[in-house]
Amino acid sequence: MNMAKVTIKVNGKNHTKTVEDRTLLVDFLRDELKLTGTHVGCDTSQCGCCTVHVNGRAVKSCTMLAAQANGASVVTIEGMAKKDKLHPIQRAFSECHGLQCGFCTPGMIMATAGLLKDNPNPTDAEIYKGLEGNLCRCTGYINIVKAVKMSARLLRGGKR
Amino acid sequence: MSAKTHHNHGPVGRVEDARLTTGAGQFAADWNLPGQLHAYFLRSDRAHAEIVSINAGQALKHAGVRAVFTGADAVRAGYIKPMHTLTFPGKGGMQTRAPDRPVLAHGKVRFVGEALAMVVADTLAAAQDAAELIEVEYRDLPPAVQPEAALAPGAPQLHENVPGNLALEAEAGDAAAVAAAFATAAHVTRLKVEVTRVAPNPMEPRAYIATHDARTDGYLLHVCCQGITTLRRHLAAYTGVPEDKFQFEVRDVGGGFGQRTPAYPEHGALMLAAKQTGRPVKWVSTRSEGIACDTHGRANIIDGALALDRDGKFLAMRLDWVNDMGAYLSPASMGHIRNTSTCMTGVYRIPALYASYRVALTNTNPVSSYRGAGRPDIAYAVERLVSQAAAELKVDAAELRRRNFIPPDAFPYKTPTGSTYENADLPGMLEQALKLADWKGYPKRRARTETRGKLRGIGIAAVIENTGAGQAAKDEVEIALDAAGNVTVYTMSKSQGHGHETTFAMIVADALEVPLARVRVRQCTPEKQHRLQGNHTGGSRSTVGAGSVCHLAAHKLIEAGRALAALELAVEPSQVEYGKGLFRSRDSKRTLKLGDIARTKPVSVVAEGKFGSTFPNGCHIAEVEIDPDTGAAEIASYAAVDDLGTVINHAVVEGQLHGGVAMGAGQIFGEHVVYDRGTGQLLTGSFMDYFMPRAGLVPAIKGAEHPTPSRVSPLGVKGVGESGCTGSLPAVANAVMDALAPLGVGHLDMPLTPAKLWHAIHSARPRD
Amino acid sequence: MYALNYVKAKSVKEAAGFLARNPEAKLLSGGMTLLPTLKARLARPTHLVDIGHLAELRKIAVKGGRLLVGAGARHHEVATSAVVKKAIPALAGLAGEIGDPQVRNRGTIGGSVANNDPAADYPAAVLGLAATVVTTKREIAADRFFQGLFTTALEDGEIIVRIEFPLPKRAAYSKFHHPASGYAMAGVFIAQTAGGVRVAVTGAGPGAFRWTAAEAALANGLKPAALEGVKLDSREFNNDMHADREYRANLVRVMAKRALAKLSGKK
Repeated sequence: MNMAKVTIKVNGKNHTKTVEDRTLLVDFLRDELKLTGTHVGCDTSQCGCCTVHVNGRAVKSCTMLAAQANGASVVTIEGMAKKDKLHPIQRAFSECHGLQCGFCTPGMIMATAGLLKDNPNPTDAEIYKGLEGNLCRCTGYINIVKAVKMSARLLRGGKR
Repeated sequence: MSAKTHHNHGPVGRVEDARLTTGAGQFAADWNLPGQLHAYFLRSDRAHAEIVSINAGQALKHAGVRAVFTGADAVRAGYIKPMHTLTFPGKGGMQTRAPDRPVLAHGKVRFVGEALAMVVADTLAAAQDAAELIEVEYRDLPPAVQPEAALAPGAPQLHENVPGNLALEAEAGDAAAVAAAFATAAHVTRLKVEVTRVAPNPMEPRAYIATHDARTDGYLLHVCCQGITTLRRHLAAYTGVPEDKFQFEVRDVGGGFGQRTPAYPEHGALMLAAKQTGRPVKWVSTRSEGIACDTHGRANIIDGALALDRDGKFLAMRLDWVNDMGAYLSPASMGHIRNTSTCMTGVYRIPALYASYRVALTNTNPVSSYRGAGRPDIAYAVERLVSQAAAELKVDAAELRRRNFIPPDAFPYKTPTGSTYENADLPGMLEQALKLADWKGYPKRRARTETRGKLRGIGIAAVIENTGAGQAAKDEVEIALDAAGNVTVYTMSKSQGHGHETTFAMIVADALEVPLARVRVRQCTPEKQHRLQGNHTGGSRSTVGAGSVCHLAAHKLIEAGRALAALELAVEPSQVEYGKGLFRSRDSKRTLKLGDIARTKPVSVVAEGKFGSTFPNGCHIAEVEIDPDTGAAEIASYAAVDDLGTVINHAVVEGQLHGGVAMGAGQIFGEHVVYDRGTGQLLTGSFMDYFMPRAGLVPAIKGAEHPTPSRVSPLGVKGVGESGCTGSLPAVANAVMDALAPLGVGHLDMPLTPAKLWHAIHSARPRD
Repeated sequence: MYALNYVKAKSVKEAAGFLARNPEAKLLSGGMTLLPTLKARLARPTHLVDIGHLAELRKIAVKGGRLLVGAGARHHEVATSAVVKKAIPALAGLAGEIGDPQVRNRGTIGGSVANNDPAADYPAAVLGLAATVVTTKREIAADRFFQGLFTTALEDGEIIVRIEFPLPKRAAYSKFHHPASGYAMAGVFIAQTAGGVRVAVTGAGPGAFRWTAAEAALANGLKPAALEGVKLDSREFNNDMHADREYRANLVRVMAKRALAKLSGKK
């Protein structure tokens, strides 16, 4: 078995684990670090439930080896809230009822964070495009789009 | 009893959201138990074959492998006969022919993806590696893939005890009355439609851990499910393990849509493994496995005819169904056939109805209830027929509906197929919907679309569906009160995203007149599993059933508290008032806090209820734009007016509608499970080929409520979970057909993909 | 995924040397196609040699009238690069249409071109712009590089270093997304280059190809009307449950017209 030591800074803290080379980043997070907020919803890199940020960019952690993230800085859904204070995107998803079962939600929130970083004030069409890599089965996306817009307003320092 | 509910709380950020937005949810795959082993299933790569031999010798020798199970183990354990629910009488007294289904295929495989062996190992990778070492010798058989072909003479036979692959032939209504009415009709509209086979695809893949306790011979199952009571009943029937030997752990469930209701073979296989190895055994499905073997939905072919008199009044309707059930009967498959006769008349007064059903077995994955379970199917068949009739008679589609609605004063209305609809205001709802959608302004919008070189269509659907009633003897809810005044509500209902923790808490908080934060809702908790009865969450029933009982239980708590408070206050119970969390003596004005009555010991009450069907109904109007060059269609507007009875949590209810509408639109525009008709191979085995709705498919919904409170539920609620797709399936399809009608395009079946629409447009137009 | 060895290359040279010594090793760049393939156990390499992090492969610059894009440039980088937007805006636009944001944050131009998926977007641009694929061994003209379904002129162990795009007078790309996967059901890249008009098609056939009849028809002016009746051989086109040949052929014509409309500044 081909094992290697991998060190990844996750949510600001370094973690070193010895894992098989074939270990996916998502399995590293879920199985090794017990950060089970990052979910797996498909096997073809379509659903985006596993979205995390690697060195500041949103990626699908099911389509990246842990070894590729060696030395990188990763932010997961667990790293978004600061102590008890929800991240504005988390607040917006709740207030807009942008989640139902909640399984896609961590990925949606991380994708939204990525989208708003590149485009702080997206149009509806830009939001549709920005969420192309994320599937939700419950909401019909209407309230998710609302939540993204509210998030954008909150992050720009505006009102809800 | 008047229900003082809703409006008291304003918009509620759900109780569930705090954990679900922070990654702190607890989904089935998130569980890990000490010492657990991992299971991997070897699945059939062909649709129909005899299993000549299975040799697991090499697999057993693979490092880390603890055991390999095959169909022989399943048969030895007696895990072979799943229960089925097609228990209504068939034609001429015919009984359902239910095939066996060992939890691992034995002797034969009957669809692509059927599990025939299970490897249990220390790691998932080892189990999967070893599964590739299992040698299977098959003798291929010709498959029966398409249901009408499977019923034809000479078709390959799936099961010895199901001759002609006909599991059941049934009928509803009055054939003679329908024939007589057709004979006198001024006009008959005929339309054969397919409501395609789709994959429910909740975002959470299935995941289970089975643990066996050798001392008690009991099983603990960590699951994702829609409620443990139904699952337990199914599993006990499948395995012969008594219900009292089951314990379940289920927390957050990532969507269900009917697919998480039934017992599956994997449950039983994992139980075998847990018992033999003495260790917890975990299995997490992949999406591809889920598309191949989690039950599919819909899969009905409906040949319909509607007879009208010269005034456009409906005289009679006849529907001949072929229901594709896949290779085996799923335990939760009854509803999607029965509900189609329950709601057969739709929202119309149609004096004579007749439906025939031929339930076919095919070499495909089993079909079961999926959001709406037959209600969207019947609504689609009826509403397509009605719109087609309107087009043929050149009558406005809304006007034809108006002429035929069951009038408000006819409720409760007994339908020709034996249901009793409770109240509705169909004409009022239609008018509200026409206004909301600006029906009159449509020609202008169409003209504007046409200047951009596109086609535009408008479609309407007025629908009704039965909800509420469940199979459990009753719904029970326990409320426990502690000295601090905190209230815990226990129910066997199980949210899969519905927000019970919020809605049920609102119901109880409203009844007790205490802040929402005082009330905590716990669903399917282990300690209550053998103490409380109740239905699983499905069939849009939970607020009608468990929610109503929450209300009753809260009032029962008040009554129990009143007696206790009377003792403390030294007055007659009749002299004790309750309000805003305080018991008060009428005379002395002395008060006790709600929690005070639990000072010496916690107070707990159990309430129960059994409710019949409620009938939410709605009118949906969709407009679509189609690019004739590519066939790409877009929803230009969508308006939905729904009668859901009393609404407890408007945000949650609106969310249910959004999701349902998008699911219906997804099915119309692209979702489709496709098997190769020759080989039975699954052609849409992943999200690369299975279309899923994405953001923007339904850009917005103009929604409005048109409530007529239910008399069945003490809360007045009617249920909402399935209303969205029941309305959107016909509304969106009717809009597309309307857009194509001027080109002379007649009927198209879903999915209305860009390619299909382009072909229809292209072949209808003169070639340039 | 089968067990394998992960190797993080320190340089392209080291990676090439490793590949030469290990014939069953595979190169890993963004991994957007390779990793799903490995997860489905459709390939079993002994090693993955990762070059996705190498700075030497990430450069984007204009030099001598050519836009040079390092093989490791991610789709997002190409889509948002000021250099690319100025030099060949159509290329930036194409990169921004690939997959989804998460895929664009990982996927690389070199990986896409080397993989030559018949529905990938980049091959249309490389072919349409008459680009040169520069490898560790040689320079390969686009016309010789793409050789049909998942097949290229790359030899074992040969690594793409960069793609060099001659700057066109103008160029445009129009794509119809596959409804499920988001790949190109048909994508057409049209460029007015020093060597004449080039029309490259992806998604429709077994690999990206040039629609030479359209090129000839457009030689005298980039007018959509010039495409009417132009021969398009669709016999080899993909024919599946999502789209048959006839529909794909139609999409090629429509996307070509839309690309031409973009060229003339019309939407």
